[in-house]
Amino acid sequence: MALTTVRSSAGGKRREESAGPLTPKRYDRREAIAGYLFISPWIIGFLIFTLGTMIYSLAISFSHLNLATNLMRPAGTSNYQRLLEDPKIAASLGNTLFYAVLAVPLEICFALFLASLLNRVRRGAGFFRTVYYLPKMTPAVATAAIFLLLLNGNTGAINQFLRFFGIAGPQWLVDPAWVKPSIVMMTLWGVSGTMVIFLAALKNVPRELYEVASLDGAGPVRQFFSITVPMISGAIFFNVIILTIAAFQVFDQAYLLFWRDTSNASPEASLFYAVYLFQQAFQQFNFGFAAAMAWLLFVILMILTAIQVKVGNRFVYYEGDR
Amino acid sequence: MKKKRAALVAASVVVALATTACETPSGSDTETGADTSAFNAAASGTLNAWAFDNADDVGQARLDYAAGKLSGVDIKLDATGFDAQKFTTRLASGDVPDIVQMDRAFVGTYAAQGLLMPLDKCFSANDVDPQTRWYSSVVDDVTYKNQIWAVPQFYQPPAIILNQKVMKAAGVTEADIDTSNPDKLIAAIGKMYQANGGVPVTLGFDPQATGQIYMWTLGLGGKLTDADGKPTLDDPSNVYGLELLKRITDAQGGYAKYKSFTDSFDFFGEQNQFVKDQVGAQLDAQWYPNVLSPYAGKLQLGAVPFKDRDGKPVTVAGGTSFAIPVKAKNPAAACKWALALTEQGAWDAAGEARAKTLAKDDSINTGLFTGSPKADQELREKYVKPSGNAGFDEVINTYYEVAASGRSVGASPAGQQLKQELTNAITATLLGQKSAQDALADAQNASLSAYQTVTGG
Repeated sequence: MALTTVRSSAGGKRREESAGPLTPKRYDRREAIAGYLFISPWIIGFLIFTLGTMIYSLAISFSHLNLATNLMRPAGTSNYQRLLEDPKIAASLGNTLFYAVLAVPLEICFALFLASLLNRVRRGAGFFRTVYYLPKMTPAVATAAIFLLLLNGNTGAINQFLRFFGIAGPQWLVDPAWVKPSIVMMTLWGVSGTMVIFLAALKNVPRELYEVASLDGAGPVRQFFSITVPMISGAIFFNVIILTIAAFQVFDQAYLLFWRDTSNASPEASLFYAVYLFQQAFQQFNFGFAAAMAWLLFVILMILTAIQVKVGNRFVYYEGDR
Repeated sequence: MKKKRAALVAASVVVALATTACETPSGSDTETGADTSAFNAAASGTLNAWAFDNADDVGQARLDYAAGKLSGVDIKLDATGFDAQKFTTRLASGDVPDIVQMDRAFVGTYAAQGLLMPLDKCFSANDVDPQTRWYSSVVDDVTYKNQIWAVPQFYQPPAIILNQKVMKAAGVTEADIDTSNPDKLIAAIGKMYQANGGVPVTLGFDPQATGQIYMWTLGLGGKLTDADGKPTLDDPSNVYGLELLKRITDAQGGYAKYKSFTDSFDFFGEQNQFVKDQVGAQLDAQWYPNVLSPYAGKLQLGAVPFKDRDGKPVTVAGGTSFAIPVKAKNPAAACKWALALTEQGAWDAAGEARAKTLAKDDSINTGLFTGSPKADQELREKYVKPSGNAGFDEVINTYYEVAASGRSVGASPAGQQLKQELTNAITATLLGQKSAQDALADAQNASLSAYQTVTGG
């Protein structure tokens, strides 16, 4: 206690000597400057490597760029007009939206389920956390190779397991109706990044709240929905936004399962927006059109995120809100 | 004040964008600026070659031979594989290789974009007659707008390998595996096809539906491009092949089950589909007998040619080639190096190297399919001897017989996209998502769009 007093007093003296007492406004400004200084390396990187390239890509979207000759011919708005005319744009956006609607809720639920399980583990918690996180560490190519074996409609382990119960499993990788669910399954395999965020949030929920709720007779389900979910709503909100953005940019899984080997058939059902964008940019070298596609995706994601933030603010509880 | 500042920033961005987007090119995209007279010069200096990444015993022997022929040239070889993105980036940055090995399907695209040198003067300066040195279909693969744009190599035509064991058990003869007679073929497939619980166990015939797409279109009288390389996928002649393919896969559980089954094949391993009797017949390229060679003693093989609708043997095969970029610094050496790699002496050296390799393993020599009829024949006479396995010898002979019946896909500015769209059309048809006509019409629209993008048409 004495030490605290001394420090407080010394600090007060210094303040008086230098700039007088800190008003809330002055304190906010100092805090802001310190904050900006801390994040300045990121800001500089963002300005050079993200904002700069974004502006360049906007310029490219109004041109025909020949990468080989480095020549840019003006294209006006033709690349954007083509977005409306190319049937694959609508098809790939539809596929991507379908995937996002299916994948994001499943990822949230599955990650929260795994995090809740891990949160209850006392002995060997570190071991289980490591094991659960391993899929995230596995290269996407290796994961795809495993899923190609698992999901084979005739000989794959999943269908053989289903056959054990007399169920004829679907042709996951060939039947257009099952192509997107199979990609969602592969996505769920790598859900541990989301799980870790939930686990951290769960650890921060005060135990007293559960004890009080128990005394009031609330069961586990009531506790989950009345305490856990509100208390981790910030993490849920964050994950929903991040996963939605990731879902609209899904590429690895679809490309590795269906588009890597061009001698293989690639069902239209697996043509996601990012895959088509990649094809336009790096296989057909239509950089102008690909840049226009990228900007369309950017606008869509901005609108979706704005809606999510607007809706989310009604439900999210921020502990440190001032 | 804030509004004024925002307006100023917005105006600056718009001006910057407009300036960048409207930058006037210094020349047309398709201007080549190629100095083809340079092919007359003597080969000297440094040669930067890229993407000769298949230097096995055959490749190394040819490299050594070519190096000996160009003794005054310092050959620097980048043996990493060809990558279209890397290629264009290198051209843009000025890091231009003198010569690049690439799939022949790329040649039309780059030629149409003005990125490659036409090589007619390369041939004439070195007294090479392309029509004599290579099969005509091979030359057609790299001919765009009446000019030859690359030095072709290799040509491995497909034919149908038979599993006599499965065929005999089902009472099927070689004559039944006849692509010119669909009813007979489907009946034979039905006899050989076996399933367990709806899951295929043995296919009567694996048509390699998406792996040999040109056989099922061009090989059956289809037309994929016109004389300018413009896609013609919606030509009615292409419908027949797709409908026949659908009959073949439908007779074997449908495309989905067929595809999943073939995906599970141990294609390169000792438990391959012939050893495990998973196929009665399969359409395979000429190199595949090399995979089967170690197991020849266990197998009862045979082969028949793929036949067109008139019953005549036919084959369609691509391959690789050497192309010289427009801004190559040493085109004379590049031209001479590519020609040296594909001349008779290089193939003789390659044949000798391959024979030595095979002698060590006591394996069967199936020959080399070089793209050059003279080289193929001479190597066959010298190295391909009866193996003591009549069925396997029949396989080898069949490939030699069909080699002269080749048809070319042709060089198209939309070559890669055309292939992808045709594959998609076949898949959609076989899955029953679209009729063959509709699938081909959609594929035509997409590939035509790619064609117009490349040609600016």
